[in-house]
Amino acid sequence: MKNIIVLFSLFLFISCKKEEKRVENLQADKILDEKYQNLYGNWVGDFIVLEADSLVDESDYVYSNKLNLIIKKIDNNKAFGQSVVAGNSRPLSGIFSEKNGEYSFILYEPGKNNDDGKFTFKIINDTIKGIWIANDKKNKVLSRKFVLTKQAFKYNPNLMLPEDTEYVDWYSEKLDTLKEVIDDEEVTYFEETYRTASDVITKLNASTTLLKEEDIKNLKKLELEIIRNTIFARHGYSFKKKSFRQFFDPVDWYIPVTDDISRELTSIEQKNIVLLNRFQKYAEDNYDSFGR
Amino acid sequence: MIVFMSNYLKTHSKILWVVILSVFFMLMLRITLKYIPFDSNIAFLNIKQTEVQSVSLYLTFFYIHVYSSIFTLFTGFTQFNETILKNNKRLHKAIGKLYFYTVIFLSAPSGLFIGIYANGGFYSKISFVLLAILWFWFTIQGLLKIKKNNYNQHKYFMMRSFALAFSAITLRLWKVIIVYLFEPAPMDVYQIIAWLGWIPNLLIVEYYIYKAKR
Repeated sequence: MKNIIVLFSLFLFISCKKEEKRVENLQADKILDEKYQNLYGNWVGDFIVLEADSLVDESDYVYSNKLNLIIKKIDNNKAFGQSVVAGNSRPLSGIFSEKNGEYSFILYEPGKNNDDGKFTFKIINDTIKGIWIANDKKNKVLSRKFVLTKQAFKYNPNLMLPEDTEYVDWYSEKLDTLKEVIDDEEVTYFEETYRTASDVITKLNASTTLLKEEDIKNLKKLELEIIRNTIFARHGYSFKKKSFRQFFDPVDWYIPVTDDISRELTSIEQKNIVLLNRFQKYAEDNYDSFGR
Repeated sequence: MIVFMSNYLKTHSKILWVVILSVFFMLMLRITLKYIPFDSNIAFLNIKQTEVQSVSLYLTFFYIHVYSSIFTLFTGFTQFNETILKNNKRLHKAIGKLYFYTVIFLSAPSGLFIGIYANGGFYSKISFVLLAILWFWFTIQGLLKIKKNNYNQHKYFMMRSFALAFSAITLRLWKVIIVYLFEPAPMDVYQIIAWLGWIPNLLIVEYYIYKAKR
């Protein structure tokens, strides 16, 4: 019996020791964590083409997208994060090193997607500078460069698109052929027209006000689209369609943080989205056709 | 050239009328068929849910208007056809009755009701309400004139009446043209076509009557 008690206390003692060790380890992690915590977060800026396949037409890719490079964890010489750009959210992992106050990273996207690649960058004076190189050498865009600054993301339903901008859908080009006779010679020329949105899109907030049919009845399809997408932009949605990115990428407050916001939407927003979709569908089917 | 064309149009105007009416009648029929089966949130009603939900009789009058009005357009094939007028008075009378009852009891009153809730604000509401009242009035007058055996006046009033029925087509046609040319906001189009749909129709008929009287 005595033996058993001794054995049991010995066992208790050992397990306590183990526990202590783990606590020590955790504390060490925390110290490391704290050391680099100021680097964690969203690093946002333009993701600009450096080198592209020379045989590919320039309209086949987007020259500049808004990139959010999220640094999530630095553990000794390892670093983890996420890249969010053009509707793609990819986990990152790779190597980290520190030298004379300069932080260097080489982070890899998983490599399963055709568009995956490698981010190589440094943080100097609160700015990230670096390049991304595609894994697939047959990719349309082979490399991109970026200069990023740290920007905190917080959902704010009051954010609006800025007023002092013209909202033109540059991807909606319609070419009209015009013919004119000048000095007895027929001259053919082309005139491009684009869809434009009125400033109503900077005034109607579909995140804070429950919209009525009356509020949006006189809106064109493009305006309905932008008002709906502004809801998504406030939640940090990364748009897959370049025709939507063109309106939000230039906006200072817009940070792409996720490719899924379905659970984030408030009940006002959900109701407004249903209404806006209904009107958009109606505009698509009826605006220019024989009918109402 | 112009003389030749106008002569050509004169001799072939009946055929031309039947062709134009056929094409647009088919388009209108297609629009009507969108509302079968009955649905409170289909086609045009997609942007009318406020009225559908808050005005209890809106949907009833809307559907009366949609289902009945197509018949009034159909009468355009027979009622102005001189052969039928001369040789088949009974057919003319029967279809005339169909037109009269449809307009007076179904299409015009329902048009007035939904006109009060028309898109495009005050100015298009006035237009649609006025259109419904005039349509009703011309149609009644048309009947009263024939009861007194006043054939000419009967013809004139029924032409006025049908010109307004035909606005269902011209209004949608103007819409296509205006959107193609200027691409205005949807309710701005609405305000314009609300008036452009029937005023020119009526003016053309009045001009014809003016010429015929001289």
